[in-house]
Amino acid sequence: MPEPKIESEIMRISWGPQHPMSGQTRILLDTDGEKVHKIIADIGYTHRGIEKVLENRTLIGGIIPIERMNMVDSSNIGIGYVTACDKTYGLEVPERAQWIRSLICEMGRINSHLYAFGLQAEATAYFPAVFLWTTIDREVLLDLFEELTGARWSYNHFLPGGVFKDFPEGFEAKILEAVQYLRRRFKDYWNAMIENPMFEMRCDNVAILEPKDAIRLGATGPVLRGSGIPIDMRKEEPYAAYNSLDWEVITEDACDIMARTKVRFHEIGQSLNMMEQIAKEIPEGETRARFSPFSRAPEGEHITRVENSRGEMSIHMWTDGTTNPYRVKIMPPSLRNMYVFERLAELSEIVVADIPVVVNSIDPWYLDSDR
Amino acid sequence: MIYTNIALGTASRTGQTLAGIMAWMIEFLTVNSKPILQVLVLPGLAFTLVFALVAVWFERKFLARAMLRVGPYYCGGRAGVLQVFADFIKLFLKEMIIPDSVNWLFFALMPIMVSFVPGLALILIPFDANWVLWDIGSLGLPMFLAIMGIAPLMPIFAGWVSNNKYSFIGAWRVAYMYISGEIPIVICAAAVAIMAGSFNLVKIVEAQSNMIFAIPQFIGFIVFFIGVLIESERTPFDLPVAETELVFGWRTEFSGILFGFTMMAEYVMLQAWSLLFITLYLGGYSGPIIMGNVIGSHIFWLLAKFCAVVVFVILLRCVFPRPRMDQMLKIGWSYLTPLALLNLFIVLGLKMWGVF
Repeated sequence: MPEPKIESEIMRISWGPQHPMSGQTRILLDTDGEKVHKIIADIGYTHRGIEKVLENRTLIGGIIPIERMNMVDSSNIGIGYVTACDKTYGLEVPERAQWIRSLICEMGRINSHLYAFGLQAEATAYFPAVFLWTTIDREVLLDLFEELTGARWSYNHFLPGGVFKDFPEGFEAKILEAVQYLRRRFKDYWNAMIENPMFEMRCDNVAILEPKDAIRLGATGPVLRGSGIPIDMRKEEPYAAYNSLDWEVITEDACDIMARTKVRFHEIGQSLNMMEQIAKEIPEGETRARFSPFSRAPEGEHITRVENSRGEMSIHMWTDGTTNPYRVKIMPPSLRNMYVFERLAELSEIVVADIPVVVNSIDPWYLDSDR
Repeated sequence: MIYTNIALGTASRTGQTLAGIMAWMIEFLTVNSKPILQVLVLPGLAFTLVFALVAVWFERKFLARAMLRVGPYYCGGRAGVLQVFADFIKLFLKEMIIPDSVNWLFFALMPIMVSFVPGLALILIPFDANWVLWDIGSLGLPMFLAIMGIAPLMPIFAGWVSNNKYSFIGAWRVAYMYISGEIPIVICAAAVAIMAGSFNLVKIVEAQSNMIFAIPQFIGFIVFFIGVLIESERTPFDLPVAETELVFGWRTEFSGILFGFTMMAEYVMLQAWSLLFITLYLGGYSGPIIMGNVIGSHIFWLLAKFCAVVVFVILLRCVFPRPRMDQMLKIGWSYLTPLALLNLFIVLGLKMWGVF
C-alpha cells in the first residue's frame, strides 16, 4: 500500500498490528495532538484465500473452510454457504431442520454479540471485568453447542438439505434453562455498561453516522440499524425458519456508539425470545432431505444473502456442472463496515482516545474482512 | 619472640580499635535510633517497599475476584504471595533495552527519579507528634505540595526522551492532567490550613481532635479525593498510560528494571497522596490510645486509615471506565476547581462567624 505524504504539523501513528487493542490489522492515524484528521485502514494481514480454497473442494467439503472465516460467528457464515448449496442442488429443506438451523444461528449471534460487548467494555478501559464476565457466560452457550453439534467452535452442523443431527434427549429443557440464566445476566450487563455514567460519557454523541451517510457508505448490520434504518436480511429475504418466528428488527435513532451497543443488547433479547420459542414450538419431522454428497452440482448461478451478527453477508455461487463450484464470491460484513470506519473521522470529530471504542462499536472481524 | 610481641600488641591494639568502633556505633545507634528507624523503616524505605509489594498482591487477588478469576495461583501457594517477588526478579534480570536514538543518561535517570521524588514527600507526614522524619513546622504542607509539584515533570521528560509517538502523547497527557488536578488540590489544602489556622501538619491533625475535617468540608473532601486519583494516575484517571489507546503511554519504551521503577512510581504516588489526604481530612494519626502506647497506637491508626483508603481506591478500578482527555479536563476545570473554590468560601464563612 503506497503511503500518502504527511504534512508537517500532522503526526502519523501506526495503530497496530502490534498494539494491545488493534487486532490483526494496521490502522494509520493522522493526528494533530489528540485530534484524528484521517483514518487509513490497512487490512489484508490475514488473507488466507478462502474463496480460492472453496474452488478446489466439493460443495459439501467447502463448509469446513468457510466457517473459519469468523470463528465466533461460524454458524451464521455456514448458513449462508449452505443456503447457496440448497439453491444450487434445488433441495427442499424439511421444516424441523429449518428450525434447528435458526436455533444454531441465534445462539451464534448471542455468542458473537457477547464477545463484542466484552471488547467494547475493554476499549473504554472498563478494566477487563465485563470482558471476563461475558467470556464466562459464553460457556453456557458453548456447552449447548457441544451437546447439540459435538463442537464448541466451528460446528459444521449444517448440511445441504438439512442439518447433521436432531436434538439430543431433553435438549429443549436445557435451552430454556440457558435462556433464563442469560436473561438474568443481561440485566447485570445493562446496569454495568449502559447505565454507567462514565460509559455513557464515552459513548454518547461519538462517531455519529447519519442515516444518509450510512446508506451512501454501505454500512450494514448493527451499524446500519444503529443509524435508524430497519434493514435486516432475516426479514428482507427470510431464510431458515425466520418467517415462522416472532421477532422484530431493532433500530436506534441516536446514530452514535451507544446506539450500536444498544442495538446489540436488544438483538440479544430478540435472539433469546427466538430460542425460547424454538424450544417450545419446534415442529416434528425429518431433519435432512435425501441427498448424495458426491453428486455433481447442476450448472447455475445463485446469490444468497444472510444476516451475520456483524451484518449482511452475500455469497455468489457459480457452478459449472462439476462437483466443485466454479467460483464463490463472498462479500463479508466486516469489510463493508471497515469502509465506513475509514470515513468516520471526516463525518464527525474523533480523538485518539476514541479510536478503540469506535473500532469496537463497528465490531470488525479482520479474518472475516480479509477472507 | 619480638615478632610475637609485636603481633600480640597489634592484635590487642586492633582489638581496642574494634571495641572502640563497636562502642561508638552502639552509642550512635542508641542516641540516633529514632532517625535511623525512621529512614529505614517507617516513613522510609521499608514502608514504601512493603506497601508496593502488598498493594500489588492485593490488587491482583482482589480484582481477580471481581473478574471471576483466581489471580496468581501457583507461585507461593494458592494465595500467590511470592508472585510479586518472582516478577521483581524477572524485571531485575531482564535486559534494559535503551533505544539508539535517545539520550541514554536522561533515559535511565527519569524512571528512577519518577519513583524517588514522591517518596521524598513521605518524610513530611506526621505519624505522631514526635514521629516526623523532617519536622519543619509551619513549612510542612507547602513543602509537601512543592515536592509533589516537581513529580509530574519526570513523566513528561520520560515520555519526551523516549522519542516515541505514543510516549510523546502520553507525556503531554500527563502535563494536561496534573494542571487540572493540582489546582483544586492546592485550593482544598489551603481551605484546610485556614480552618486549622496553621500550615503545620501536626497542628492540622491536632485541630481535628474534636471533629475530622471531612465533615465540615465535605465538598473539599470529595474534590481532594478525586484530585488524589488524578495525581496518582489511578483508574479511572490513568489516561497517560491508557493501554487500550496509547500502548503504554509514557512508559512504552522502558524495559527491565526501568519499567519496574515506573510501576513502583504509581504506588509511591498513591502512598504519598493518600497519606496527605488522611492527614488533612480524616484526622491523620489521631485515634483511641491502645494499651497505653501513644506512639504505637498513633502509627497503628494512621496505617489502618491508609489501608482503608487504598482498598477503596483499588475498588474503583473495577467500577469505572476511563474518561477521554477533553472530558478529563472538563472534570478538572469545570467541576473540581469551582467546587474547591466554593469549599474555600464556605470555610472562610465558618471562620468569620466563629463556628471554628
